[in-house]
Amino acid sequence: MIFNTPLFFWFFSIFILFYGFVFLKQTARVYLILVGSLIFYGAWNYSFIPLLVGSAVADYFIAQAIFNASSKQGKKSWLILSLAINLGLLGLFKYADFVLVSASELLAAVGYNASIPTLSWVLPVGISFYTFQSLSYTIDVYRGDMKPRKGLAEFVAALSFFPQLVAGPILRARNILGQMHAITLPKWSAVKHGFLLITVGLIKKTGADLLAFPAQKAFEADGAVSTLELWTGVIAFAGQIYGDFSGYTDMAIGLALILGFNIPLNFRVPYFALSPVDFWRRWHISLSTWLRDYLYISLGGNKHGHRTRNVFITMLLGGLWHGAAWTFVAWGAFHGAIITATHYLANMPIFSAFNQSHSRLVTFVKWAVTFYLVLIGWVFFRATDLTSALDIIVNLHVFNSETIGGNNAFTIFVMTSVWVLLVHIIDFYVIKGADKLEDRPWVFWLLMVLGQGICLLIGEPSNEFIYFQF
Amino acid sequence: MTSQKLYAKTVVSIGLCMVTALVIIHLILNSMGAKEQGVFGRVAQSRAALSKIVKEPDDLVMFFGSSMTRAGFSPRQFDANLAESGINTMSFNYGFGGLNPYFQDFLSRRIVENLEDNGRRLKLTMIEFNPFQTTTTRWDRANTVLDAYSSFLMSDSELLDMALQDITQGVRLFNIKYLRNDISAEMFTTYWGRELFPSNVRRTFRNDKETRAERNRLRKLLSEQFDKEYPNYVDAQWSYEWRGGGTIPHERPAETLALFDAYYDVSQTDASMKNDRLGRIRSADIEELHFEPLLVEHFINIVKNFQRVSDNLEVIMLPKNSKWINTTPEAEKRLAEAVKQIEQATGITMTNHQNLPEITSNMYSDTTHLSRYRGGVAYTDYLLEQYVGVFDR
Repeated sequence: MIFNTPLFFWFFSIFILFYGFVFLKQTARVYLILVGSLIFYGAWNYSFIPLLVGSAVADYFIAQAIFNASSKQGKKSWLILSLAINLGLLGLFKYADFVLVSASELLAAVGYNASIPTLSWVLPVGISFYTFQSLSYTIDVYRGDMKPRKGLAEFVAALSFFPQLVAGPILRARNILGQMHAITLPKWSAVKHGFLLITVGLIKKTGADLLAFPAQKAFEADGAVSTLELWTGVIAFAGQIYGDFSGYTDMAIGLALILGFNIPLNFRVPYFALSPVDFWRRWHISLSTWLRDYLYISLGGNKHGHRTRNVFITMLLGGLWHGAAWTFVAWGAFHGAIITATHYLANMPIFSAFNQSHSRLVTFVKWAVTFYLVLIGWVFFRATDLTSALDIIVNLHVFNSETIGGNNAFTIFVMTSVWVLLVHIIDFYVIKGADKLEDRPWVFWLLMVLGQGICLLIGEPSNEFIYFQF
Repeated sequence: MTSQKLYAKTVVSIGLCMVTALVIIHLILNSMGAKEQGVFGRVAQSRAALSKIVKEPDDLVMFFGSSMTRAGFSPRQFDANLAESGINTMSFNYGFGGLNPYFQDFLSRRIVENLEDNGRRLKLTMIEFNPFQTTTTRWDRANTVLDAYSSFLMSDSELLDMALQDITQGVRLFNIKYLRNDISAEMFTTYWGRELFPSNVRRTFRNDKETRAERNRLRKLLSEQFDKEYPNYVDAQWSYEWRGGGTIPHERPAETLALFDAYYDVSQTDASMKNDRLGRIRSADIEELHFEPLLVEHFINIVKNFQRVSDNLEVIMLPKNSKWINTTPEAEKRLAEAVKQIEQATGITMTNHQNLPEITSNMYSDTTHLSRYRGGVAYTDYLLEQYVGVFDR
């Protein structure tokens, strides 16, 4: 079930009637959220409900065992079991075929034509998200950052909370469990803000679907593509993936707000970033902070002079988290490389003055270089394979005027770029000044009608969210 | 504020907002008239005409198929020629471009329901089996209109069945049908996006300037002739557009027919035909013919649907422009298998008109369609010869 489908609209309408008017007590609401979340998940494929519930139940009991274990070794053993279960499931469903195919290709490359059979299993929607969320619970309990919660239903409801179940944001267990334990009635202003985020999210998703066309033309062209069309395609994909993913999380945050839950921001106008490090402070914040807290820090962080190695490993695995393909590994490696380069340059005296300058020209140069690098990164992310990614990157820098789009190429380039900018301006305004808008009811509701109208008119509900596959 | 008060306010405010947005959308969709144009418009007209068809007093004849049927069969010529022999019929050309067997299946159900409800039968039904409309490539390209056509052509009970199989798709189609006036978002964006994102009409081969100029000149002249010869032409009064009426050569002066001949000659240039062939290969897999099993199944349904209301039923493969379209031996094998599957499932032997000697290569307007005033005329006459016997029974 996807947020921008009529099915979800009817599902949420019925859910809110029960939530707001029938199930008024804390326990009743927890059970309603649990049942609603399982229906939401089951609408995609009910056969994976046991997997979702099973991994949650396992982590619930493992966390108690970690807490109750008397020795450090005992705690560690239970944590290893949790890691094995969660990462094992993730590995089995998401990475097994990738490993088997890669092994097969490697053997073929060295002269052994071994045909290794693959599993070809269906990837459970959202497994990367709820696995990481569940892991954060057992790791936090192991580290002593939180105590295990009592109440299995509450725990499973929190882990499977439908607004953020299939595409994040990846909530920390300590954040969502507390809220699930004492569900509060939202304020009217929060409800309005929630609806604003849902509308903005829908607009972003609608725009993302439209940007898919120029992106596809560039990345999957079977004819000549001009340099302009190629750049348009890359910018369009940057806009598409941002609109698609941040649009989804906006809707998730908005829906949660209406239900009385606070989900932290997942994007902070990322294409306004002034360095690769800054980009990762703004892009998919819940994943980057998860990786920082549970992987980078576990690897040793900045200590012992291993920063470069740890950054690189973290980004490599972050890339792999997005999908089982070498293109994602390359994307992670590319970001690892540019972050490392940024750290290296920042320490060089020659760049120090530049780095600390806030002049408009320097700020513009920083932004332009960062945006350019991010765009190059997206080529790896979107391309069908590494060879075509490298071809596209080369062709982006070689002038070619032969076109498949006729006279519209420039118009589409301008429209694509303007849309990406516009979405960021909307986001900037929503983050900084939404309360001013919400205080003016007539303007607010008029804009909501317009926003919803545009999405209903041109939204393409048959397109799934890109991040569902991760 | 209590929970009930807060959520009552929430439901009313958001509900009102959504309803207002929906009303605005409805007004826009109705005013833009997307449903009245192109194939969608013709299908809509044809469906609406069913209530009129069942009231026609004469024997009913229907040719049901693709755009090849649309171009290749003239109901007015068919009826006029039969009338000369004292046989009164009312024929209909139900050929629609871009309507693959999946959609045709649902349209045929609506036609059959209408006939059955009114106790009418078709004296002669000719159903075109179009191999390249039944390929996987063709099916993949129907994506943008799938939701709109499905919601428009399916009955409520069929939509309900769909919802039981795939709830997301079922609810979406109900929404399109009842809240969006049958216009899906995809259809809306395609409609408005044509200007901005033109489809990749690749002209690998170019006609020379003189040929292009001559074709435009002749097109203009033909248009002027039409205005002169039919000064009071109003489609609905003069002939039923949805019936596939159109003008027929018998009514036109020799001067106009000569213009048509000249026009066809400059239209069928090597460059135009080569481009068209490439387009058909790309859009319909016309020479390899990898059949889509789902579409073959739906084609079988079409035949079975019409069998319920037809006194005489023929399944026909229309003439093929073999000068330009050369199916591979593997494609021929696949075609033979598909034909066998259809024949076994329906009990009807398919009639193959692909290589009729009566139809020559200069009778096509492109690599697939018969030209109206050459091929269409000849083929309608041929059909008349073949099937006149059914009216004596």
